[in-house]
Amino acid sequence: MMSAPGRGSALLRGSYRVCTQCARPAPRPRIATTTRTTPRASAVLPLASRRYYSAEPATAQQTPTTPESTPTPPTTTTITPSTDPNPETALYLIKSSLILTRPPLLTREQTPFESAFYFYQKRLNERLTAPFRRQFYFKQDTAADLDFRIKLAERHGVPAKDIGRYNPRGRMAWNDELLTGSTTSDPAELVNKLLADAEVRVSEDGEPIAPEERVPVERPAPRRSEADEKGDVRRLDRAMERTLYLVVRREWEEVVEGVKKKEAVWEFPTGLVQTQETLHEAAARVITESAGVNMNTWVVGRVPVAHHVVKPVVDEAGGTTVVDRGTKTFFLKGRIMTGQADLAGNKHGLTDFKWLTREELQEVLPEEYYRSVRGMMDLR
Amino acid sequence: MGKLPSTLLRRPSLAGYLPSTTPALPHTPTAAGIRLPTSQTSTTTSAAGQVRHATFVPRSRRPYQFTQLVQLSDGSTFTVRTTSPLALYKSAKDSRNHILWQPTEKSLRNVEVDEAGKLAAFRERYGSSWDLDGPAAPAAAAAGAAAPAAAAPVAADGSKESGEKGAAAVGKKGAEEKGDKKKVDAKDAKPAAAAQAPAEAAAPAEDPFDSLVDLISTYATEDKNIKGGLSAKDQARKEKKKK
Repeated sequence: MMSAPGRGSALLRGSYRVCTQCARPAPRPRIATTTRTTPRASAVLPLASRRYYSAEPATAQQTPTTPESTPTPPTTTTITPSTDPNPETALYLIKSSLILTRPPLLTREQTPFESAFYFYQKRLNERLTAPFRRQFYFKQDTAADLDFRIKLAERHGVPAKDIGRYNPRGRMAWNDELLTGSTTSDPAELVNKLLADAEVRVSEDGEPIAPEERVPVERPAPRRSEADEKGDVRRLDRAMERTLYLVVRREWEEVVEGVKKKEAVWEFPTGLVQTQETLHEAAARVITESAGVNMNTWVVGRVPVAHHVVKPVVDEAGGTTVVDRGTKTFFLKGRIMTGQADLAGNKHGLTDFKWLTREELQEVLPEEYYRSVRGMMDLR
Repeated sequence: MGKLPSTLLRRPSLAGYLPSTTPALPHTPTAAGIRLPTSQTSTTTSAAGQVRHATFVPRSRRPYQFTQLVQLSDGSTFTVRTTSPLALYKSAKDSRNHILWQPTEKSLRNVEVDEAGKLAAFRERYGSSWDLDGPAAPAAAAAGAAAPAAAAPVAADGSKESGEKGAAAVGKKGAEEKGDKKKVDAKDAKPAAAAQAPAEAAAPAEDPFDSLVDLISTYATEDKNIKGGLSAKDQARKEKKKK
């Protein structure tokens, strides 16, 4: 069997969400402030407890949990160039963020030009192929043969179900173009015709079934899901022909002139990079800490796909005192395969999450922030 | 069948490559005097005299193709071009319900069909592999004691005697019992008199096994999840009770 390190083997090993090459051989000491103290964030769940995604969120996140620690409290540090060999590092906090994406589940819709092109090719092919031999596929006068003959007669002798009324060998073979406003080339119309054709018209005895007794074929699920109709942005089975991105809402309290004030922002799951940690390891840890372990995710590569810089706020007098340290956030790309985000008991003060498309992200994210990450998204 | 369709592709004629019409090169001797239609030769012939090589290449005959709607086992659909005249094809087994592509799907793990209960009966009688290293120590040890068929009556005698005499050994731990019993196995091949002493010291006070068949049947642990009917042994027991 396969010995390649696929996702299955990684799961069975119960390893952390990085590949074996990326993982460091030596155990890393973790700093106590952000270590995984709660057991739920400590390890990936065993195989049996995993669920498939497209499930709705486990519990509604209506009750905002109180953040245990504010991730970036406004600190005041004094720059002392004489002792610090590299004063630039003190100005910035390095953060790692995971842009968790759900790939499209459906092929996108055809454009009108595409469907017209495919339709043209079908009628052209009709002129060039060998004719259909019914006797080759159906034994004479069997139920299947009678069934096909009934449907063939209804299509005016055209064996194909999707090209409309067109005779490639007749006097009007040249007339292969559709009139304006015709829906014959529409893909949805094609599916309707195929489903109607799949209906059984002749009983096993060879008797034609009356129209009221025919059993219609069950229609496949529509392209728009129930979550689409309801506008539920937390479910993973929404917007199925688009890439979805996980964004979380972070809340923290800020003291402005002695008054406590609640602030909130939508962003990708973000956390500080620890000293002994690489970016992709930090991203994998952050997604576990913030969105729970009930997800089968995969960090795509070790190289960040985007970055976002917030400049530090320096005191005007002399420029030696940093009022607020800046941040450099590096974004890594992740894929979700199974599971669903669960913010219960997260350590980053997150209160809500959404699975959004690119256009919806533009409305939710801060403008500068969105502009930094826009380049990694699907531009369709 | 009559003749082949006239539209079939013809073999290229060799008439144009006869040595009489083309000047033969001295350094390329050919076996039958016919030169192969390579690009090099064609350029030389065109240089010598005008020969038409272009033949009518008819369009290859392709079978008639329909558009078919394929529905996978999870309900997703797509269309394909196929020679099948069926409008809808419903797939029974595909990547959506196969364990190779869905390694986390638990329902795909075990597909044992055992309606008659034969497999379950076999497992009940002989056990399955993972029962061996489980905690079923006494049964396994007992089965091991009975394993050499020649020594079986000897062991039974020994255990019976030990049941009468060795009341002091009851308080011993299971593990010790097991180890000591294995010793008994090893010595069973020797005369019974030699085996008496350790058997008295170690064997449990009671021996629930009457015969070899019972020993083997208790080899497996009880499985509550057995589907299907009774095993042959249970059936026999039931009939005995009825009588």
